[in-house]
Amino acid sequence: MSTPTLQPDVSAEVTQRRVPREPRRPRRRHRKSRLPYALIAPALVFMVFVHGLPAIGGFVLSLKKFNLFTFRQLFGAPWNGLENYRSILLDSDNPLHNGFWGAVSNTAVYTFWTVAGTLVLGMAIALLLHRKMRGQRIVRTLILVPWIVPSYVVAVLWSFMWQSDVGIVNKFLVDYTHLLGHRPVWLLGPNTMWAIVIPSIWRGIPLAVLIFLAGLAAQPQELHEAAAIDGAGPWRRFRHITLPLLRPLIAVQLLFGVIYAAYQFAIPTVMFGSNPGPDADLMMTFIVRQSFSNSLYGLGAAASTLLMLVMLVWVAVWYRAFRRDLEVT
Amino acid sequence: MRRKLATASWLVAAVLALVVAACGGSDNKSNTSTAAKSATNATALKKGTTVNFWIMPNGPQPQQDMEKTVAAFEQQTGVKVNVEVVGWDVQLDRIKNAAVSGQGPDVTQAGTTQVPFFAALGGFENLNDRISQIGGKGAYAPGVWQTTQLQGQDGTYAVPWFTEARAIYYRKDVLEKAGIDPATAFTDVNAFQQTLQTIKEKVPTIGGKPISPFGMPGKKAFDLVHHVMPFVWDNGGAELNDDASKSTINSTQAEQGVDFVAQLVKKGLFDKSMLERDGTQVENQFKGGRLAVWIGGPWVLSTIDRTDDKNWVAAARKNVGVAPMPAGPDGKAFTFVGGSNLMMFKSSQHKNEAWALMKYLSGDTVQKDYANLLSFFPARLKPQEEVGNSDDNHKAFYSAIKQGRTYAPIAQWGPIENAYKGRFGNILDSAAGQGKPFSEGEVKSELNAAAKEADALLQQGS
Repeated sequence: MSTPTLQPDVSAEVTQRRVPREPRRPRRRHRKSRLPYALIAPALVFMVFVHGLPAIGGFVLSLKKFNLFTFRQLFGAPWNGLENYRSILLDSDNPLHNGFWGAVSNTAVYTFWTVAGTLVLGMAIALLLHRKMRGQRIVRTLILVPWIVPSYVVAVLWSFMWQSDVGIVNKFLVDYTHLLGHRPVWLLGPNTMWAIVIPSIWRGIPLAVLIFLAGLAAQPQELHEAAAIDGAGPWRRFRHITLPLLRPLIAVQLLFGVIYAAYQFAIPTVMFGSNPGPDADLMMTFIVRQSFSNSLYGLGAAASTLLMLVMLVWVAVWYRAFRRDLEVT
Repeated sequence: MRRKLATASWLVAAVLALVVAACGGSDNKSNTSTAAKSATNATALKKGTTVNFWIMPNGPQPQQDMEKTVAAFEQQTGVKVNVEVVGWDVQLDRIKNAAVSGQGPDVTQAGTTQVPFFAALGGFENLNDRISQIGGKGAYAPGVWQTTQLQGQDGTYAVPWFTEARAIYYRKDVLEKAGIDPATAFTDVNAFQQTLQTIKEKVPTIGGKPISPFGMPGKKAFDLVHHVMPFVWDNGGAELNDDASKSTINSTQAEQGVDFVAQLVKKGLFDKSMLERDGTQVENQFKGGRLAVWIGGPWVLSTIDRTDDKNWVAAARKNVGVAPMPAGPDGKAFTFVGGSNLMMFKSSQHKNEAWALMKYLSGDTVQKDYANLLSFFPARLKPQEEVGNSDDNHKAFYSAIKQGRTYAPIAQWGPIENAYKGRFGNILDSAAGQGKPFSEGEVKSELNAAAKEADALLQQGS
């Protein structure tokens, strides 16, 4: 496929002249490419120390018989192989086995409702606020308030609001609106799950609204106008234009929402103490209680490692599902 | 490629340098530990030495109260005491980390049930050679002294500091309206239950406001086990067997005790909304006039006369009565006795000065004054008796302390107590109609689970 050369000598000369230049090119490229490495080096070192080493340390401890009697030895504690993993995953005689699976199930339920609730309500509010109306700016500012309230304060406030006898929730549902004929107990039994899901959604909505509003503002208005002229109603326009264009933003919120919810600790702990009970014990409350209140550090480290692995799997699944959306973004 | 390797080597070198620096730190620690040992040999107190002292938030002004208390010691000895208040929410981790790292104060306050756990970590001084200077074991009640030990070891790892016990608080006006004699209202568990029943029937309101016969917090309270165990002990049950090698919380006697409390909820004598609250919130419900009977510690007594405690309503404030916990079917009455001890860190470089401070705080007068300030009881028998005889309410607490009982001094007690607390909480929730349906079988099942958890925790040390 090579083209015949009409002036081979000249070509050879050129080639000869070019030869010494060639090594310079990669050098220049190297010099250029060093800058990004230098720029990310501090972040990399920080990540290695703050995330990498502790994660590796945690994994090593999960393979040790590390409890209050071996606490002083730290990494010198006796090896326990995969026993910590076996006992919490498979050993039904281990009292923590049931607690672990209960926490896994609660975390899945909590994560589903929190993320779904936040995204659906966040989008609904964003769509409402996207319409032109009086006092739009004030409403948009006020909607952000729950987001700036720390989780600790959110949990304290809601724990008062949920009280069955004097809490505002029951006062509203029973005394003021008569929507219910009896006073539900929110802070005991199965309702404890809703007692943590609802404040979590309440706190998560402002960020979702903010992101969706930005996404809605960036959508080309002509598309909606053209669709309206073609006879598409609001629902069809939402389904076929708004929603697909917001997909990348939904993807990002889904990723962070699930990770954030799976690692939730503050709200159940502040609301219920170190043991939120069988209906609201999440993975993080379980891990922290077993590790630090009960000094079962090795078992706690094993449960943490398992949670981390599940999150890695989730990130991989998410990436496969939304890879194209990321490219669009 | 070479450059990449060079960059990677640089990073590895940086990591190693930091790790080596950290190891260097631990060498220094062992040097200071040697220095501390030699300092211990000296007997005279070094003037100008600073003793670092961690206390927990005892009373409304813990820092000022303690500084006032040690002012005389500082004057007498020339030793400065640096008081630091450490919150109850973080004290377990801070003391634990200080004990292990050797980076901590000289002396710390510790909850009586925490002492065996801390002692097992190995970072605390065995005070066996020094305790004769404060009167030794004989100067304290046996239950109180037991909190300084670690089962299976011949050592004294703490000095009792101040004591508390749980007793029954009641509203005198409510009992009067119900026609109940306070002297016999709470003598045994049957009388206790009958009193609550009578209040429920005869005094649903007082001063025009509704009042519940009884209430106590559920699993949200750190001290739920302290409130339930007296009923277990009353019935002849126990938390662990005699050599603390196995849980006995699922014994028939223990089950009867737990069931007694759960039945109060079931029968509507126990305001179930209190189960949603923590200890302080329920205390405030009593102060606010919503509860006729409540179980609490002596610290509430000092708040009765404090006008700045706005949680009290006038009717409750002027009608507080205290009675010892009720006796069980065989006539024996028990209550939980706890409080705080003082522990000396092994890593202290000023052990003599630290001991001098502990000795000073163990003085009869200092104990009495400080306990009065907090409305706790002194740990030592003599001042304890003096405070106990000061008025009727203190007398009730003093007799509660005499019938006091504490848990086995084992390192795993904290986690076991957590396991019991969770299960007791589930039982009370179930009795309140929340969670699994309440039945005898459900109580048994939860207590079996508690025993299984406790046994697994006891295995840790083996």
